Amino acid sequence: MSSLATPEKISMVDAALDHDARSEDGGRRLGLALTLPAQVLVLFIAVFPLLMQLYISLTDWSPLDGIGWWQAHELWNGFANYTDLMADGRFWSALGRTALVMLVCVPAEFLLGLGLAILFMDDFAGKRVFYSIMLIPMMVVPAVAGYMFFMLFQSGGPVNDILSGLTGMNVSIAWLSDPTTALVAVMIADIWQWTPLMFLILLAGLVGVPEDQVRAATLLGASWWQRFRTIVLPKMKTIIIIALAIRVIENFKIFDTLYIMTGGGPGVATETISVYIYKVTQQDLIWGYVAAIALVILVALSILVSLAISRMNAGKEA
Amino acid sequence: MNRSLPFEIFRYSVITLALAITLIPTLWMASMAFKPIAEWSAAGADLTWWPKNPTLDNFRFIFGTSTSDLIVALDRTAGKPILSSLLSAVFGTLIAMGCGTAAAYGLSRFGSGQNLPLALIQLRLFPPMAVMIPVMIMWAFLGMVDSWWGLALIYGIVTLPFAFWLMKTFFDDMPREIEDAALVEGCSRGRVFLKITLPMMRPALASSALFVFILNWSDYLIALLLTTREWVTIPVYMASLSSSMTGQLYGAKAALGLIAAVPPVIMGIAIQRHLVRGLTFGALKQ
Repeated sequence: MSSLATPEKISMVDAALDHDARSEDGGRRLGLALTLPAQVLVLFIAVFPLLMQLYISLTDWSPLDGIGWWQAHELWNGFANYTDLMADGRFWSALGRTALVMLVCVPAEFLLGLGLAILFMDDFAGKRVFYSIMLIPMMVVPAVAGYMFFMLFQSGGPVNDILSGLTGMNVSIAWLSDPTTALVAVMIADIWQWTPLMFLILLAGLVGVPEDQVRAATLLGASWWQRFRTIVLPKMKTIIIIALAIRVIENFKIFDTLYIMTGGGPGVATETISVYIYKVTQQDLIWGYVAAIALVILVALSILVSLAISRMNAGKEA
Repeated sequence: MNRSLPFEIFRYSVITLALAITLIPTLWMASMAFKPIAEWSAAGADLTWWPKNPTLDNFRFIFGTSTSDLIVALDRTAGKPILSSLLSAVFGTLIAMGCGTAAAYGLSRFGSGQNLPLALIQLRLFPPMAVMIPVMIMWAFLGMVDSWWGLALIYGIVTLPFAFWLMKTFFDDMPREIEDAALVEGCSRGRVFLKITLPMMRPALASSALFVFILNWSDYLIALLLTTREWVTIPVYMASLSSSMTGQLYGAKAALGLIAAVPPVIMGIAIQRHLVRGLTFGALKQ
C-alpha cells in the first residue's frame, strides 16, 4: 500500500480534503440562509403573538375601546380574566362537548377505517376505482361538506327520506333543531369526512406488514384472527398511534363543518371550544378574555403533548 | 387472506354500502345544483333525487345573470370570491413551498435549523382559533385585513409545516451521489441546489404544492375572521347566500359548493400516492 502513496497522490488527497473543508463551511452558510425565511415566519407567528396574547389577557381590552392594544395596560385587571374563566360554565361545557365529540368520532372513524382497510388488503376487481372514490370525502372543502350535511339533515331532506323508506313510516325528524339529534348530526358529518383518512393511513400500514411472516403463520395453522392479533397489530402499533394522534388533534379543532351546520346551536347544544371562542371573539368582542381562554388552551395542550411525548420515549426505552 | 365466495360477497356488499354513503352527500349537492328553483325552494315538501328539469340557472344566478324565476338580487356575484380563494390559496402555497423547500433542504443536507421540525409540528398542533386574536391585531396593524395578500401570508404560515415536512422526507430519500458528483466537478453548493436538486425534485415539488394548495383552498375559519367584504373567499361568501328575506338559496349554494369542491377532489385523486406521506408529516410513506 505504502508504495502507492506517491507525493502527487498525497497532494491530490490534500487538495480534495481542503475542498471538502471549504465547501463544508459554505454548506453551513447556505444551510443557515436556506432556513432563515422559515425561522423568521415561525418567530413572526409564534413568539411575538404569544407575548401579545399574554399581555392582552391581563387586561379588559376590546377592539371597541378606541385605544390601541399596546395601551391595553390602562385597562389592567390582573388575573380577573383567568378567575372568570374558571367560573365560566359555558367554557367548561364547551370543553366537555368537544371531548364528547372526540370520544365518539375518533374511535368510530378508527374502527370503520380499519374494517374497510382490512377489506382492501388484497387485490380484487375494481379495487383501484373504489379506493379513489373512498378518498373523496376528505378532499371536499369542510365548509362545503357542512353545507351538504345541512341540506341532508333538513326535515324534508334525504336522510329522513331514506329512514322513511327503511322503516315504512313517515320519518320527519327536525335533526338540526333538537339539541341531541343536532349533536348526532354533526358527529355523523365528521365521521363521514374523516373515516377515509383513517382508512388511507391504516391501509398503508397493513400493506407494509411483512407478508412472509403472515404466510409462515398461516402455514403453521394460525387462524385469521390469531394472525391479525399476534403479527399484524403489533407491527401496526406506531401507525395506529400516528393515525389516532392526528385525528385527536384535528378533531379538537372542529369548527368549519359544525359551524355551518348548526352555528353551535340550537342554543349552545353543539358549541365546541372553537365555536365558543369564535363567538366570544366576534359577538361579545371581549378580546382580553378571549386571549386568556386561548392561552389556557395553548398551555394545557402543550403540557398534554409533552407528557405524551415523554411517555412515548419512556415506552421506547422500557 | 380469505378467498371464499361468502367472503367475496361480504366484501362487495360492505364496499357497496360504504361507496353509497361516501357518494350520497356529494351527489345530493350536485343534483341540487342543477335543479330549477321550483324544485329546490320546495325542498321541504317535495323531494326528488334527480332534477326533473335540469337547468344551469343556479350557476347563472351566482354569476349575476338574472334568471326569470329568481327575483332576488345578489348584492355581489361569486366571481370575486372565487378570485379571492384562488389568489390567496395560490400565493399562500408559493410562500409555504418556497420557505418550506429551502428550509427542508437546509436541514436535510447541512443540518441547519434543528429546531424547525418540532416548532412546525407545534404550530400545527394548536387550534387556529386559539392564536387568532394576536393575528387579527397584527393584520389590522399591517393593513392586511380583508385582502387576498393578507390571507395568502397567513395561509403560507399555516401550511408551512406540511410543505417543510413533505419536502424534508423527499430530500432525505434522494440519493446524494449526483449532488456529490456535481460538487466534485466544482459546482458551488448553491448552484447544485438550484440547477440539479430542484429540477430532479420536480414531481415531488408538484405533489407537495398540490397538497398544500388543497389545504389552503379548504380554509374557512381564517377567512371568516380576516376578511369582511372585499376579499371574502368562497366558503364565507357561500354563507352569505341566505338571508331573512330570501331564506336559504339552496340551489345557488349547491352550485357554488360544487365549484369549490371539484378542484381539490381532482387534485387529491391525482396525488393519492403521496397523500399518506403528507397527512402523517412524512412519518409514513406508501
